[in-house]
Amino acid sequence: MLELRNIIKHFGPPQAAPLLIGISMAVPPGETTALLGASGSGKSTLLKIVAGIEQPDSGSVWFNGQDISLLPPEQRHFALMFQDFALFPHLNVQDNVAFGLIEKGLPKADARMQARAMLERFGLGNHALARTWTLSGGEQQRVALARALITQPRALLLDEPFSALDAALRERMRDEFKWHIAQAGMTAILVTHDETEARTMASHGWLLQNGRLSRRW
Amino acid sequence: MHKMRRASGCWSILFLRRWAPYMLALAPLLFVVVMLVAPTLRLVWEGIWGQDLAMGLSEEAGTGPAGNAWSIVLDPDLRWRMGWSLMQATATCLLALVLGVPLAWVLARWQFTGRELVLRLLMLPFVVPTLVAALGVLALWGPRGWLGAPLAAAGFELEETPWMLLYGNLFFNLCLLVRAGVQALEQVSSTRLAAARTLGATAWRAFWRIEWPVMVPWLASSLCLVFLYCFSGFGLALVLGGQRYATVEVEIYRLVAHELALAQASRLALWTMGLNTLAALAYAWVEQRLASPAHVTPLPRRQVTSLTQRCVLATVLLVLFMVSGAPLLAIVLRALLALANTNSMALLLNEETLSALQNTLVFSTLALCFSSLLGVLHALALHASEIAGWRKVAARTASFLPFAVSPVMMAFGLLLLYPQWSASLPVLLGAYALLAYPFVATALTAALDQLPASYTQAAATLGARPWRVFWRVTLPLISPALRRGASFAAATALGEFAVSLFLSRPEWTTLTTLIHQHLGRPGASHLDAAMLLSALLMLLTLGCFILIETHDRSVS
Repeated sequence: MLELRNIIKHFGPPQAAPLLIGISMAVPPGETTALLGASGSGKSTLLKIVAGIEQPDSGSVWFNGQDISLLPPEQRHFALMFQDFALFPHLNVQDNVAFGLIEKGLPKADARMQARAMLERFGLGNHALARTWTLSGGEQQRVALARALITQPRALLLDEPFSALDAALRERMRDEFKWHIAQAGMTAILVTHDETEARTMASHGWLLQNGRLSRRW
Repeated sequence: MHKMRRASGCWSILFLRRWAPYMLALAPLLFVVVMLVAPTLRLVWEGIWGQDLAMGLSEEAGTGPAGNAWSIVLDPDLRWRMGWSLMQATATCLLALVLGVPLAWVLARWQFTGRELVLRLLMLPFVVPTLVAALGVLALWGPRGWLGAPLAAAGFELEETPWMLLYGNLFFNLCLLVRAGVQALEQVSSTRLAAARTLGATAWRAFWRIEWPVMVPWLASSLCLVFLYCFSGFGLALVLGGQRYATVEVEIYRLVAHELALAQASRLALWTMGLNTLAALAYAWVEQRLASPAHVTPLPRRQVTSLTQRCVLATVLLVLFMVSGAPLLAIVLRALLALANTNSMALLLNEETLSALQNTLVFSTLALCFSSLLGVLHALALHASEIAGWRKVAARTASFLPFAVSPVMMAFGLLLLYPQWSASLPVLLGAYALLAYPFVATALTAALDQLPASYTQAAATLGARPWRVFWRVTLPLISPALRRGASFAAATALGEFAVSLFLSRPEWTTLTTLIHQHLGRPGASHLDAAMLLSALLMLLTLGCFILIETHDRSVS
């Protein structure tokens, strides 16, 4: 179980109102939880706090009964998917997917083999040696998801993963993502401002508004 | 117990990450303090409190610190030198602006065969050593130059006039302004221009109301650099300025090297540094405003079709060639002619020349390694720190400090502060590295500014430790900028002249100082040898140019 306990985060001058005011929530294991909110409401910041990229001013992040607030991102074993996919432009598709495996100490050849197998599952086997910028938006997103899932993270954090796609593709990718996440049986947090998207993908929904979190469903 | 140890480990990681930028900044900071700040402060002290007994300083001038500093204004010769230095820098800025904006507009808005090549060649003057440029101007406009000789025969003697120096300044700086103008015009949104035109603006009005405001900060930034380069220029002014039109930097060198008037030279340096610092601060401030990348749809370029357009284009290319290409061509032609002269060949292949070549290559390589290391540390520290506002401007300005303090003043300050090490190799190499490292630091800072944070964050969440994130993601992505910065740094070190003149020993003669020695010796054969050596130096720096441009091609 992933838990946030009383997270407080300020941005800007000290006298400014906090961005996040005492956020507490529990994310049930093996399910997808949506985090809704308008632009600038702090939902991406909250996701980065979970990932360990941002530090809260106070409060803590717990996973399976263990306080992980002080752990750096690479030791949390959460995978974060970004709006812009953050695919490394200097690596080809296969090496992008193999990146996390190599960081876990797997020999390069084995990592590449696993990456190739993963790409086959995602229907991208033909693009293994392609540069990431030659792929379409949907293909890039699949690569990003494959890269995130291949390391078998303890949780998947999705930061508006469909915002860069057009409407038709977004709908298709939504279904595809849902299927892959369900197959992996993974805990996931989906940050989005689109309630339809949130309801399609997530079994629980929270709304972040004026720095406070409220349960939607 | 295990939990406590784990928590303390986590705290130490957090502590290390928080303080990492400061630890990274330590080496470059210490280096800049020892090699630049302390010598500059010593120079300031000497300027305010120092007295030249040998000079017999006038009674009314040397009364206390204020009087010492004021003595420059009271001395008519030094006043003229300061005034002329300001004038020639300002005149160059104005000339570069007037010529550069139309040239930039044509290059940015029109499509023609060879446009890419022209844009690439605009980078060439940046890597040409000042002494080579000065000889190029002489080879073209000098009394025996390709164009200077016929002009002199017709009664237009250019020697001992300010035009040679202004032309030399333009050689270096016109390209800077044109490049900035082209880059600025590529940031102009085509939709905004279209909106302006549909709202009734003519092409001329749209230029002034839409394009010009976008260009202003870019031009302002490059004009600050033009001013800095011209005001603190040494090599060009030494060779082309003559007695009358030499700049304040040449005067400082003359006072130190020929008259041993250290205090008076320091006072002059004080004024110069003040103005340079103002220009450097203005540059850093404008650059800070340019740091955020803009995402716009640029205006598509128009094909040159009509006769008028062709004539305008031909004029633009001719102006560019005459200002920035002709001096280099003149040197090559003079060197080829000199090659036919056996005496020149003997001079070129003697032990003195080979030793100078070896010194140049060894010093440049060592300086390049050191400056690259410092530049990387500086840029990474700046990138990793969470400072903002004026602190960020100050930290960025730190990398421009070696630009603000000219090589002459840097060397002079080192002489004053460390007289016992004035002819030591580490100090000489340190000075070389100090001059070269801002190129690496600024290129990397710009590259890191443009690197999306999501790349490194993604790598971290995929399990990469900070060092691995740097090694596997950041370094490969900034390596083109590193190569670019290092190429500029190498070109700077290869063409370094002022510092070598101040801090070198006879056995450490480099190509630039040898060229200067040849220029000071009588006889046509020495001038030929100087031209040949300049061509050789130009070839070496051309290698740097090719490296820079190869990078640009790979990026595009």
